[in-house]
Amino acid sequence: MQASFDRRRVNGPDESLAPRENRGEGEGLWTSDQYIVLKAGLISQANGSAYVETERTKIACAVYGPRQSKSTTFSEKGRLNVEVKFAPFSCSSRRAPLRDAEDRSLAVHIQQSLAQSVRLELLPKSVIDIFITVIESDGNEACVAAGAVAASTALANAGIEMLGLVVSCVASTVGKEIWLDPTEEESRLAAGTLGFACIPALGTITSVWQRGSMLPIEAARCMELCQERCTDIHQIVAQALLDDVREI
Amino acid sequence: MATISLSKSEKAYIQSSLKASSSLRADGRRPHDYRGIALETGVAPLANGSARLNIGKTNHEQSGGTEVLAATKLEVEDIENGDGVEGGRIVCSVSCSPSAYPHVSYAALDDLQYDYTTLVQDILAHPSLHPPNLSILRGKKSWLLALDLVVLSDSGNIYDALFMAARAALWDTKVPRTRSVEYRANGSRPAGGNDMDVDQEKQSALDTRQVKTATDFELEDYWDEGEPLGGRDKWPVCITLNLFPPLYYLDAALQEEAATPLRLLLMFSFKSQAPASLQGMRLMGTDDIDLSLVSGLIKEGEKHAGELFVAINAKLKEEDIRRTEKARRRFAAVR
Repeated sequence: MQASFDRRRVNGPDESLAPRENRGEGEGLWTSDQYIVLKAGLISQANGSAYVETERTKIACAVYGPRQSKSTTFSEKGRLNVEVKFAPFSCSSRRAPLRDAEDRSLAVHIQQSLAQSVRLELLPKSVIDIFITVIESDGNEACVAAGAVAASTALANAGIEMLGLVVSCVASTVGKEIWLDPTEEESRLAAGTLGFACIPALGTITSVWQRGSMLPIEAARCMELCQERCTDIHQIVAQALLDDVREI
Repeated sequence: MATISLSKSEKAYIQSSLKASSSLRADGRRPHDYRGIALETGVAPLANGSARLNIGKTNHEQSGGTEVLAATKLEVEDIENGDGVEGGRIVCSVSCSPSAYPHVSYAALDDLQYDYTTLVQDILAHPSLHPPNLSILRGKKSWLLALDLVVLSDSGNIYDALFMAARAALWDTKVPRTRSVEYRANGSRPAGGNDMDVDQEKQSALDTRQVKTATDFELEDYWDEGEPLGGRDKWPVCITLNLFPPLYYLDAALQEEAATPLRLLLMFSFKSQAPASLQGMRLMGTDDIDLSLVSGLIKEGEKHAGELFVAINAKLKEEDIRRTEKARRRFAAVR
């Protein structure tokens, strides 16, 4: 085919395209202002898995479980064990591959977001392991939000009984405006940042955290906007799970 | 937060009495009553600021309760060669004494310390609360404010105690006054063979390089403790609302905490002549709660935080007077 076909060496592909262009039309869904890609079932050896990609955050999540709990103490409710790992190339400055203390605070946030939704009382003496790998990170808050969405999708993909899907997003107050899903620089400029996780199917909130300076009315307004956005994201998650089931 | 283990019947017993129409608590308090809070500042003479806080110390035993010791230490950091940041920086850490949590393993204690540390660090080291007087020499040296909290015993409501103690220690912190110093080459040395000829150059008023000659600093007065840390009134107070949606109660004791599955931490900052601002919020635990309830709770929390703030401020001012009075009387006695 090619005149310069070299038999002695391993040839690279004829064409090379950026990943975004390779996708067909219906691969990702545009919400009002942001591009989210969510695919379930990418990691075959895990019980359930999901991959989330937004503008600058890429997270892969694998769920193993329910499996036997290693601890000897009897627990009548199952345990949810969340572990977050950052790839060394995920942030602008290289992170060491060792387990960092910062990973734990993200894991605690994601566990708080998910704990309410999983029916742990049906799984005594068991543990559900959720492993979240951050491939590209756009600030800690964005990772927590995307991680919670990925974990919830992976749990549903694994067939674990849940009360509803958990969806999460972040809002920040910049001047008089409220910006949803800020990038890392935007959240650094912001006076205050608020993270929100809820179960849209039930209308309950599973986790809300805020830092920085915000008036209570601004916080209430941020939460309202986050809840509206969460209903949009919920549709994407449901669609991704349906697509995965149809492919089988 | 390390919860003790309670049997299901104990939990049900505590829950039903708290949810009753006229809530009953083990020590007879009403739902929005705090236990007695004992606060003392200046407990660590080597620290730049310190405070010791105890919630719920029993009067006849003079022991028990949730006790937190907070101390701030200022260290000089180099901006060019070290970790220093222009304008100074704040680092918080919380350590838990093993005697405070006898039923918790070492690994879990580490995790607990880490969780408290990240919470305190996230809230207090935020740029919106940054004090203005942590800089020493522009571009060269700045202060590192290290706030260390030690949990000596935990008998419920640890978060409120941590933030109150932090606020008291930061209020008590004095930043030493510094004066910048520049070094000049000795003018009588021969010009040849010297690299530095600073004196030989004409001092022009428009020469902005003059600013960079301040290379070091000295303390104005070795014995003076310094000026108070700027922005003292901005440091937040924390209120923990323990929730049985839609009811809530404050200042949980250990057993009550173990029986309550959901709590909302609210940190409010009350600057003078400005409306109260929410400086931090965290929902912990699992139970059904919806948006309208959270907004309502924020308003309620603001009220209680306001009362707590006024009470702490009154006590801190009293402490200031007590210590300066003591010093004055001591000097008078010596003279």
